[in-house]
Amino acid sequence: MGLPRFVKEPNPTDTRVQESTCAEVNEHIAQSTRAAVAKVAESPAAIERRLLQLEREWDIERALQTNFGALTIASVALGTMAAAPWFLLTGIAAAFMGEHALKGWCPPVPIFRRLGFRTMREINQERYALKALRGDFKDTRNAAPHRLLKAAKTTETAVAPI
Amino acid sequence: MATVATAGKTRNLTAPVIIEKVQAGIEESLTYYSKHPEEIGSRLLELDREWDIERAIEAEAAGSVLIGFVLGATVSKKWFLLPAFAGAMMLLHAIRGEYPLLPVFRRLGFRTANEIAQERYALKALRGDFDAVDSTRAEDHADKAFDAAAPSASNTSFAPTPV
Repeated sequence: MGLPRFVKEPNPTDTRVQESTCAEVNEHIAQSTRAAVAKVAESPAAIERRLLQLEREWDIERALQTNFGALTIASVALGTMAAAPWFLLTGIAAAFMGEHALKGWCPPVPIFRRLGFRTMREINQERYALKALRGDFKDTRNAAPHRLLKAAKTTETAVAPI
Repeated sequence: MATVATAGKTRNLTAPVIIEKVQAGIEESLTYYSKHPEEIGSRLLELDREWDIERAIEAEAAGSVLIGFVLGATVSKKWFLLPAFAGAMMLLHAIRGEYPLLPVFRRLGFRTANEIAQERYALKALRGDFDAVDSTRAEDHADKAFDAAAPSASNTSFAPTPV
């Protein structure tokens, strides 16, 4: 019917931002991720440090959520205190956040991608490449489930208490 | 200001019962696919499509803000409190991980991107995607590791092995 295609068939969660990013930017991010793996590959200590650093890296969803939250609060505040037309920004921001959730695109995406914000999928490719180099996946072909679960675990340590 | 690490940000706020349930689910999946390795490729594609908790929260927040906006514009300006609250909660979630509906979404079964990644990479390990990394200490082993860790399901390093 009249619904846009991305509402009827939402893009896959894990690839939707990459699908909405231009090829050169994706390629640039992939190349720098590859280079980051090569840079620490020879030193086990450097791999450990990098893995901890990667746990802290802000992925693009976190950046977009911050942007959306701040924009919404600012637009309501301005609409109340300055001039009513500012309320329009609230509606526009929400519409784009919805589009992002379904399609993987909203106006800040091209900017944030060029700034170097990666998706969790891209960050994880680096993390799991490093885990493999460290030997986490040694002899895991056809291994028992508990061994695989342990090898593929996503954080090095419990995250610091809040 | 030290911010909460992105990995584990949402997971650390989840009840242990649910975390155990998610782990048990992955273990069950691994048991199944160890007997049906030829189906791992299609499972990986399914995992690409699975809605993670961030996506669910984004969709819900966008909806709440939009409803508040429409009611604020048509019914009463007081409704603009809803977008303000939803925006504040989104900001709280992005920075600290907390979110009022988090327990609800977690109980509905939404997993974090990293829990999905754990299943993805365990399945990739199961089918032997990382074999090439372990056997090499050549100068290109960093490249091999990077390629082995490619999340795409079209990665065809899989060769059926007798079980």
